Amino acid sequence: MKYMLLLHEPDTDWTAVGQEELDKALAEHAEFVQYLAARGRPFSGEALRPSCTATTLRPKGDDIIVTDGPFVELKEHIGGFYVIEADTLDEAIEVAKHVPIGSGVEIRPIWDA
Amino acid sequence: MSLEAAVAQAHRREWAAVLAATMRLTRDFEAAEDAVQEAFEAAMVAWRRDGVPPNPGGWLTTTAKRKALDRMRRADALARRLPLLVVPDDDPEVIQDHRLRLIFMCCHPALAMNARVALTLRLVCGLPTSEIAHLFLVPQPTMAARLTTAKKKIRSAGIPFHVPDDLTARLPAVLAVVYLVYTAGSADRAVELAHLVASLLPEPEVLGLLALIRLNEARAAARFSSDGKPVPLAAQDRSRWDRSAIAAALPLVRKALRGGGPYALQAAIAAVHAEAPAYADTDWPQILALYDELVTVYPSPTAALGRAVALSEVHGAAAGLAEADRLSAELGHYYLLPAARAEFLRALGRCDEAAEADRLAADLAPTTAEAEFFRARAVDSPTRP
Repeated sequence: MKYMLLLHEPDTDWTAVGQEELDKALAEHAEFVQYLAARGRPFSGEALRPSCTATTLRPKGDDIIVTDGPFVELKEHIGGFYVIEADTLDEAIEVAKHVPIGSGVEIRPIWDA
Repeated sequence: MSLEAAVAQAHRREWAAVLAATMRLTRDFEAAEDAVQEAFEAAMVAWRRDGVPPNPGGWLTTTAKRKALDRMRRADALARRLPLLVVPDDDPEVIQDHRLRLIFMCCHPALAMNARVALTLRLVCGLPTSEIAHLFLVPQPTMAARLTTAKKKIRSAGIPFHVPDDLTARLPAVLAVVYLVYTAGSADRAVELAHLVASLLPEPEVLGLLALIRLNEARAAARFSSDGKPVPLAAQDRSRWDRSAIAAALPLVRKALRGGGPYALQAAIAAVHAEAPAYADTDWPQILALYDELVTVYPSPTAALGRAVALSEVHGAAAGLAEADRLSAELGHYYLLPAARAEFLRALGRCDEAAEADRLAADLAPTTAEAEFFRARAVDSPTRP
């Protein structure tokens, strides 16, 4: 089964943080990627630019309205995601415990193709 | 034994084992659930005609598996291959393991607490949805929807049918479900469940929970008067306590205490109360020591308040009152806090304040019977001369 791990984090502009903080965050993710690789677990993942760069479309009657900002305005946003393979939710939880955790990690099973 | 009683008994004792064995065949709990339901319906007919079989559990398992196979044959185009999958009669160890898997699946932390309780009652105890709905005071369609949502999550999120590797991390969730079944007013089911878990997994905390429920049940008859009013511990008629049930639970408490967990400690406190011939004989220093331990391993409103009562018995009502006041910031809305304050204040002769605390307890009380009790106490209590 495939699971998406949605990484919720305090909104951060990674272009504005100090080099040290950036290196630390990158190192944490490198460590997680190493953890996955060491176990031969297939995965993919991406980091997202901050929510101030987000654009949201909403239906309005027959129209679609384009608006600035994320779908929900919160203090935390989805900062990135991984897609992993796991046989059960317990396995997915075990993997997710190793994700560098910001505010929380949401585990979502992905529909089988 | 009448036919109905025999089927009811088999339902109580065998449901989980039959379901677990059938799941081994179907690999799908909904198909298994339907098959087991059909097997029990078939039992009503067959046992009336042929008499109750010597091994009802075996009969039900065989029948449920056959029903499940019939369904699978009907559903599956590869019908002719299916007989190969029929497994020989399950040995008891495998069935035990499967019942445990069933329990851990139903009590998975990724399910909402109320869904865990409902699923456990449905799949492990075999309770009909209508009865579960009645127990939790919700309409039947609400409960049916809750069960459907939970089953959907198990299936689509991949909640596994296995016993977790890290038992210590997952056991508390199972025990919490059993305890909730108990507090929801289904003592028989809770005892059965606790007994089942204890027989499969004799960990100290499991024994502690079983002992706690048994000790509470042994004293349940004295807890309410004939007209349904709650009777405080000090006023309970201890001749109505079931002394043999209490004696039977004590060895469990001793075993449980080796783990030192919260259920074991609560059971030990219940045991000290249960062993006192009269309220005045209660070993309060012992109870206080157990509460000291309990609030450390399991900080909770009830534990903190129990400790305040023990403090007042050992060191006087003023000490109890001071502790209750200290707790009021975090437990302000917990009705037993003003109730306890009322008792401490009354013992100190501050009767007007006591009556006021009783009225507050009445306002916050979850049941009308308890509210009436506190209201009556507020009126009856002597005013200061």
